[in-house]
Amino acid sequence: MKIKHSLFNRREFLNWLLGGWVGVFVVSLVSPIAKFIFPPYQEPDKVALPLVDFKDLEPGALKNFPWGAKPAFIRKNGDGSYLAIVGVCTHLDCNVTYLADQKKFFCACHDGWYDENGLNISGPPPRPLRKLRADVDGENLVVKKEGVA
Amino acid sequence: MILKKSALSVKTWFEDRLGLSVVLDFMRKKKVPQNKHTPWSYTGSAILLFFMIQVITGIMLAFYYKPTLGEANKSVARIMTEVPLGWIIRSIHFWSATFMIAFVFVHLFSIWIIKSYRKPRELTWMTGAFLLLFSLAFGFTGYLLPWDDLSLSATKVGTDIPNAIPVVGKIFTKLLRGGEDITGDTLSRFFTLHICLLPLALLLILAIHFYLIQKLEMSLPWRDEGKKEELKELPFWPNFVCREMIVWLILFGVLVTVAVFLPPSLGKAADLMAAAPKGIKPEWYFLFLFQTLKIFPAKILFIDGETLAVLLILAACVLLLFLPFIDNKPTERKGKIITGLAFATIAYAVLMSIWSLLT
Repeated sequence: MKIKHSLFNRREFLNWLLGGWVGVFVVSLVSPIAKFIFPPYQEPDKVALPLVDFKDLEPGALKNFPWGAKPAFIRKNGDGSYLAIVGVCTHLDCNVTYLADQKKFFCACHDGWYDENGLNISGPPPRPLRKLRADVDGENLVVKKEGVA
Repeated sequence: MILKKSALSVKTWFEDRLGLSVVLDFMRKKKVPQNKHTPWSYTGSAILLFFMIQVITGIMLAFYYKPTLGEANKSVARIMTEVPLGWIIRSIHFWSATFMIAFVFVHLFSIWIIKSYRKPRELTWMTGAFLLLFSLAFGFTGYLLPWDDLSLSATKVGTDIPNAIPVVGKIFTKLLRGGEDITGDTLSRFFTLHICLLPLALLLILAIHFYLIQKLEMSLPWRDEGKKEELKELPFWPNFVCREMIVWLILFGVLVTVAVFLPPSLGKAADLMAAAPKGIKPEWYFLFLFQTLKIFPAKILFIDGETLAVLLILAACVLLLFLPFIDNKPTERKGKIITGLAFATIAYAVLMSIWSLLT
C-alpha cells in the first residue's frame, strides 16, 4: 500500500535522529559518573575471628566485633556453640547497645527493645536483629552470612 | 493535545514570573561577526568546556579525596586503583586542567594580538586577567593535593617565592602556608582554596566577563570597526552554537583519548623531613617563571637577585592587567609595537620553558 502523505517528514526524521544521538551521548557521559559515585563497598561474606578471644566467654555473655562497617556481637550459647548478632536496629539503622544487667538490646534512637536472642519485644522495631552463623573452625571462629558455604 | 496545552501553560506560568523571554530573544537575535579572526573566538568557549569538565570531575574526586597528612596520598591511590573508573576521572581532571590553561594562554594572546581589549572593552580584558590568575592558582593549589614528594617540593618552592618581596612578602608566604613551614595545615588550606574560594572567585569574575561580552558584543578587527553594516555575520543560534558544539566534541574526544593513554602518576607519599627529589620542576605553565627566577644571579649590584626577579615578574603582571590603558589608541590604529610585544612575550615564554626542560 502506498501512503499519500509520509508519516515522517524529513525535518522530523532529522530531529529524532539528532535528538536520539544527543540522548545516547548524554547517557554515555552520565553512566560512568553514576558508576564512579558508588564506592566499591561490599558487606563481607565471612569474617574469621581468632577463637582465643571468645573461648573464655561465660555462657550467655556477649563480645563485640566489626562485621564490615557494622557493629556485631558474638554470644556463647549454653551448649558451647556461638551465635553472631548484627547490632543494628531493624527500625532505622541505629547501632544498638547490649544491657547486660537486663539481658536486652536497646536502641536509643526511638526506644526500641530486643531480648537477649535479638527478638524485638518493645518499641518500633519491625523485625528481630539480624543473626549470622558462627562456627568454630580450628583456631578461628568463622562468622558467615546465612547461605554462604 | 492535552499534553501540549499543559506544557504551554507551564511555560507561561514560568514566563510570567521569570520573564526569561528577554534573554531568549537576545540569544535568538545575537549575531557573531564572521571574519578571518573568528576562529579565535572559539578559544574562550573551549576554556569554558574544560572548566565545566573540571567542575564535574572535581566534585567527583572530592567525594573520595581526604585532605589530611595521613590520608591524602592514600585516598588518591584508592581513587586510582579501587574506585570504579576513578583512574580515568582523575586523569581527565589532570588533562582538562592542562588543556584549560593552554587555551587560557591562547585566548590571552589572541585577544592581545587582535587588540579586542581597546575601548570600550577594557574591563573585559581586566576581568580576563583575573581569570588567568585564578586559573594558575587552581593549577598551583591542585598540584599539592596528591601529596607526593614531587608536589610537596614544588609547593615548597612556589610558596617561598613571595618571601623575596620586601615588606609584605613574609606575611604572604605565611598566609599561603598557614605558618612558617608546609604542614598538614597547608594541605587543608590548599584544598579549601582549590575547591571553595577559587571556584567562588572565578565564577563571580566569570559572570562579569560574560556579561560584558554580551553587552559590548564581539569586537571587530581594527580595520573593520565603524563599517559594521557591510560585514558578514553569523546568527548565534543555531549556527554558531552548532559550530561550537562540533569544536567541543572534537576537544572532548582528544581530552578523553589523552586521558586514557597518559594517566598522571602518583609518587610515594610526601615526607616532610625527606630531601627534595632530583630534578623537581613545576607544571609546564610555570616553567618560564621558574627559569626566569633561576637565571638571576644571587646579587645584582647591591640588590638581592631573587627579589629583583620577583619584583620584575610582578611588574609584568601589573602591566598585563593595565594593557588597555597602556595601549589606549583608537580602534582603527594597528598598534604594531603591541603586536610585537605579544610575539616577544610568547617567544620568551617558549624559549624559557624549553631551556628549563633541557637543563
